[in-house]
Amino acid sequence: MRKKKTRRKIKFSEIYLWLVLLFIYLPIGFVVLYSFNESKSTAVWNGFSLRWYQTLFQDSSILEALKNSLLLGVLSCLAAAAIGTVGAVGLVKAKAKAGGVMEYISTLPIMIPEIILGMVFMAFFSVLHLPFGMVTLVIAHTAFCIPYILMMVRARLAGMDPALEEAAMDLGAAPMRVFFDITLPLVMPAVLSGSLLAFAMSLDDVVISIFVNGPRLNTLPVKVYTQMKFGVTPEINALCTIMLAITLLVLVAYRLAVYKKAD
Amino acid sequence: MKGKKRIGMLLLAGLVSAGLLSGCGGQTDSGKSESGGSSGELVLYTWEGMFPQEVLDGFEEETGIELIYSNFDTDETMLEKLAQAEGKDYDLVIADDYIIESVVEEGLAQKLDKSKIENFDNINPLYQGQFYDEEDAYTVPYGAGIPLIVYDPEAVDFEIKGYKDLWDESLKDSIALTANYRVINGITLLSMEKSMNEEDVAVIEEAGEKLKALAPNVRMIQDDNTQNALLNGEASVAFLYTSQVTQVLSENPDLKIVYPEEGLGFGIMAGFIPSQAPNSDAAHEFLDYILQPETGAKCFDFTGYYSTNQAADELLENPDLAVPESVTEGEIIQNVSVEADAAYNKNWTEFKAACD
Amino acid sequence: MKKKKNLWSFAVLPLYLFTLVFVVGPLVYMAAISFATNKEGYGVLWRFTTENYRKILDPVYLETFQQSLKLAFSSTLSIMLLGYPFGYFMAKLSDRRKKRMMLLLVIPFWVNSLIRLYGWIIILQTKGALNGFLLKLGLIEKPLKMLYSYPAVLLGMIYTLLPFMILSVYSSAEKMDWSLVEAAMDLGATPAQAFFSVTLKMTLPGLLSGMILTFIPSMGLFFIADILGGNKIVLVGSLIQDQMSRGSNWPFAAALAVILTFLTTLIIYLYRKITHVSELEGLY
Repeated sequence: MRKKKTRRKIKFSEIYLWLVLLFIYLPIGFVVLYSFNESKSTAVWNGFSLRWYQTLFQDSSILEALKNSLLLGVLSCLAAAAIGTVGAVGLVKAKAKAGGVMEYISTLPIMIPEIILGMVFMAFFSVLHLPFGMVTLVIAHTAFCIPYILMMVRARLAGMDPALEEAAMDLGAAPMRVFFDITLPLVMPAVLSGSLLAFAMSLDDVVISIFVNGPRLNTLPVKVYTQMKFGVTPEINALCTIMLAITLLVLVAYRLAVYKKAD
Repeated sequence: MKGKKRIGMLLLAGLVSAGLLSGCGGQTDSGKSESGGSSGELVLYTWEGMFPQEVLDGFEEETGIELIYSNFDTDETMLEKLAQAEGKDYDLVIADDYIIESVVEEGLAQKLDKSKIENFDNINPLYQGQFYDEEDAYTVPYGAGIPLIVYDPEAVDFEIKGYKDLWDESLKDSIALTANYRVINGITLLSMEKSMNEEDVAVIEEAGEKLKALAPNVRMIQDDNTQNALLNGEASVAFLYTSQVTQVLSENPDLKIVYPEEGLGFGIMAGFIPSQAPNSDAAHEFLDYILQPETGAKCFDFTGYYSTNQAADELLENPDLAVPESVTEGEIIQNVSVEADAAYNKNWTEFKAACD
Repeated sequence: MKKKKNLWSFAVLPLYLFTLVFVVGPLVYMAAISFATNKEGYGVLWRFTTENYRKILDPVYLETFQQSLKLAFSSTLSIMLLGYPFGYFMAKLSDRRKKRMMLLLVIPFWVNSLIRLYGWIIILQTKGALNGFLLKLGLIEKPLKMLYSYPAVLLGMIYTLLPFMILSVYSSAEKMDWSLVEAAMDLGATPAQAFFSVTLKMTLPGLLSGMILTFIPSMGLFFIADILGGNKIVLVGSLIQDQMSRGSNWPFAAALAVILTFLTTLIIYLYRKITHVSELEGLY
């Protein structure tokens, strides 16, 4: 009796999960679909065409912006991963009095609206006389990337057994050694998943970037935003489709590699 | 838990390697452009889509100067950025009339060396000696506009003649408006037979009340792509900038344009050179280049703004863009006192809040 | 032992330093601007005033806060109702399918969020896909005006923020000890009783952190109000944006920002008081 009941429940939950996923993927599906639309308008379907992909590859400014965005994402994620990981380990070990408050403050960049951050960064950087460009972008992005990594690593550390580290210390290992040989490998998964999310956020940021970018630099989201204001071109749909395809390819390749290894 | 991490790692691994690969290319590129210095570069700062690619390419070919097209989204962002850069970083800026007045007042613009602009005389004198640059010392106009009402006669069952018709009850949830708070306040004032630059706070507040009554008819308030609302049937009436009017008519000639009987607003865009521009020579060259009749005509045909270059008028593919008589009758929106501006702002916020 | 501790305190230095210079610095500067005077034309006059805060009390701006909070509440509530079951069901899947589900949730993050919203325009516009579909089915006679309305903005909010709720609830539910639920059932509790007395209680931290992660951003996501709402719904975020760009009134924008930051801090403080957890769970 009970068994039957749970089975029926699972069925309902299956349907529910797929329905919500459909909701999540529906607009993405339309974006992909209309990247192949011959017409510029999204109100009509004029037939299949690859012309927007052609225009995309001729548009050097979009590709340049994509490069800038990837570079920015990688630089700020690396900086944030270094500062965030070491900081999280420090916070847990040192149990400093001000730790809680400082931790809260360092997570503020993802708690307060982006528009505020963008505005204060711009004003503040010009007070510091920092030249607007990659430097200011990296600093601003690092600031909102740190929280993701910090929280992730902290959560991981909280569930970790301190005995390993202590044993190493007792055996006379220097704290540096302990950090690199024991702590870091243990928290690495958290660092990576934190960086992953941070990278995605950096790659998606418009509001902050608009305020702190310089005259010669466009990031992809800013470019997309200004293009959308000028008039949505299916070119952008095409770009998104390509990026989605690359992500999927990487995933599939990775899976295949993993299975091969398992064999 | 484990699954999450693995997915995280693999996504990251893939994207980081992709990022690093293309990142290397990016680094060398930006390194190159930054070390290029002032010799052969022009940083042009304006809205997206202000020049046809052909004109930009033509300039680069003719002069060998590398052109960097940098965008802002609003005039105010431009002023803020320019002020933070203390007039450096950008070689040439094209923006709206009223903001240029502030730029000049702040000392962020430099006087033009007209000996370097041979085609200066091509400028239509109608657009010279304006309030933001009375001596024509700082600016070269680049297009003018009159915001107008456009409507779809099939969806509207009476003839719209002026701003006051926008308040008509039959237009419920069907008007698309541009999002400039001064312009929308301005047409409300015009419909009350007042000036668009009204300074009297009591009158502005009265206009605010009237504006609020417009709220039920408003379908959307957007500065960009407002014309699309008319084309794709989201709205049946729209109040549009000139470039949008031009575009909407080229795509659907059956739409009707209204020159509102209460009076017209009017605006000029102009280029100026920031006070500390790294390469003002190149900026002068560019201004001269776009003042050539052929280039000018291409630009106006592309942007859809009224030509400010009288030598270009005859070459326009779209003759409607040559100066209409009515332009001179239009009233330009100017900067007002802090108090009046605050009142306009408040009207705007109240209006938007009343829209839903 | 003491020596080791000191060494670890050095580890927090980069974080503290960065936070002090690039987070506290800008925020203090923002607070300072909020007490300055707005200058004619452009810029800030460094003359002390509390006028900017007094202005927020003006009914127009209070109403904006109210409207914004209302929207934040309704979107958080809808997201909770939609996302909680998802996170819960997901935690019950087999390990392999959990992985797959996680993947499916993460992939959309790689599509620009503006573009994802734009996908909704394609669907919802008057001559769009949904209207076409409904017309074909004969359910409606003429196209519905779905865009540029409160429901459209609400939809955008739900759509953008749902994954954060799902992932928070999931990470909480995933750690849960299901034998407790079984124990409760064995002791005679109905499934509903078991759910409310055990499951809900144990997943509460995830649910609450999910609520925070959706509530706070939903007051600031002005571009949703812009793209799907036709700018007719004014969020605190749009108001700040308006004051900064078109209004050119930085001090007032800063004052609004200070109040919003303060509200955010208060919400997080309350969350910590309730759950006694010092970090937000499952932020991914």
